[in-house]
Amino acid sequence: MKYKLFAKASAMSMLLGILIFVISAPTQSKEPLDDAADFDRLMEAVAYGDQLWHTGEGAGGKHPELSTNGLGCANCHPDGSATQPESWPKYQTNLGKVGTLREMINWCIQVVQNGKGYAYDSKEMIAMEAYATYMNRGAKLDPGMNKQTAPFVISGPGYPTNNEGNR
Amino acid sequence: MEDDDKKIIVPDKKIIFDEKDKITRRDFLGLTAKGAAATMIAGVFAPSAGSMIGLGSVAEAATKKIKPFTFAVLTDGHLYDIKDHRFDGMFMDAVNMVNNMKPLPDMVIYAGDIGQSGLKSELLKGKAMLDKLKMPYKVIPGEHDWYLDMGKAWRSLFGDENWSINHNGVHVIGMNSIKIADFWTGPGLTPEQRMGRVLELECNSCGPWGVEEEGLEWLKKDVKKVKPDTPIIFFSHSPLWDYYPRWNFATKDAPEIRDILRKFDNVMAVHGHVHQVVFNKIGNISSIGTSSTSWPWPYPPVDLPYPNIRHNRLDPGDFKDGMGSHHLSVAEDGSGTMFYDPFNPSAIPEAVKRGVKL
Repeated sequence: MKYKLFAKASAMSMLLGILIFVISAPTQSKEPLDDAADFDRLMEAVAYGDQLWHTGEGAGGKHPELSTNGLGCANCHPDGSATQPESWPKYQTNLGKVGTLREMINWCIQVVQNGKGYAYDSKEMIAMEAYATYMNRGAKLDPGMNKQTAPFVISGPGYPTNNEGNR
Repeated sequence: MEDDDKKIIVPDKKIIFDEKDKITRRDFLGLTAKGAAATMIAGVFAPSAGSMIGLGSVAEAATKKIKPFTFAVLTDGHLYDIKDHRFDGMFMDAVNMVNNMKPLPDMVIYAGDIGQSGLKSELLKGKAMLDKLKMPYKVIPGEHDWYLDMGKAWRSLFGDENWSINHNGVHVIGMNSIKIADFWTGPGLTPEQRMGRVLELECNSCGPWGVEEEGLEWLKKDVKKVKPDTPIIFFSHSPLWDYYPRWNFATKDAPEIRDILRKFDNVMAVHGHVHQVVFNKIGNISSIGTSSTSWPWPYPPVDLPYPNIRHNRLDPGDFKDGMGSHHLSVAEDGSGTMFYDPFNPSAIPEAVKRGVKL
């Protein structure tokens, strides 16, 4: 009995699926694959992350989400160093559990910088994660790893930071 | 091109030192034989023989009339104009640490970056705490002290940016090493924008810094009549070697400074800026970094010339980890030993705790 009901439901679902596909297919537009454009979108996030990363240095009290004591992420993590995106998730003593880079970013904002922090799916949080990850590009995945050096040398001007005062 | 061939290039293409400055194993063995046990006592040893510290001309200096003494070194407080800021407490803790030393050091040298944003209020806050020291102190500027008003407030509070004193047979020099070529007039930056750029460690539009021509001339004149067997202690905010230029862990005219100081038997160079334990030795110049009283900086992604001389991995949840004070003791033979005095002793490896011979 149960089998018959299941078979009937499956057949109806398939029919419905085909119908929806036939109706929607001609009007559904999908953007063509464009790696360069996709990368540009990532770099927009990285640039926003860079801006947030350097917000707060010397500008206490102006950015309650990020910092109320004048400290910015870049005070301790220039070039996104010592963030180790390649090592997360990992057990982090300060979090007291196996956590993610986003959780650690909020820990730094809340505990070190006395800011409010960001929702884990917010544009800001994703941008900061994008910046830290981009600045550590090329690092080999190494879950749980802890070290205090930046993983690779940034030669020349590196990522073109958009230095404009206390951004 | 010819010059390039004489450089020793590390994997990141960064020049660590000139070929003519390289200390060979033979030099090492010869010097240790001459320097005898005095060099060995407090020295810290890197794994290879060529990485050994404490290669000053100790034996030759033994005949000089030097009265042993100790200087304390504080640096990089990065004070904010915010009431009861966390960094105020750490700055004062370091001052108290020095005031509780037994015996008291003869003098304290502050190696730059009292303030964070170049505000006079930040410098005044730091000066008020330094004035609580029981002994005299001298200050050199850091980039955070300088680029809001181009040193106007700093000079009004602390005097000359380049200075020297003679103390117990040792010549002590302090220099402003954070002078940057004008990058602000062209784009029409305001003083606040200029300061805002400089306070980013990875500011790539600021350019390298140094003592510049005026500083080099001052230094030449200052040491002209100082005898080569006089021990030199040289304070600058930035290191006298290309450690990691991207973060200005370098001084653009360090090669010229080293040339001017080359005539001396032993130069002990102490620098701020790097917020970490680090050491290098180039010819007659030992160069040692210092911990801050604000935050530590990660080690940049380059090989350390003396990998044993570094601090341990630090706990971001312990706001005082990796920070503290220092003292430099000069012995009768003219050699110096730098001691790190951390707030949290676990930050410093046991070998470094015994002191780094300069």
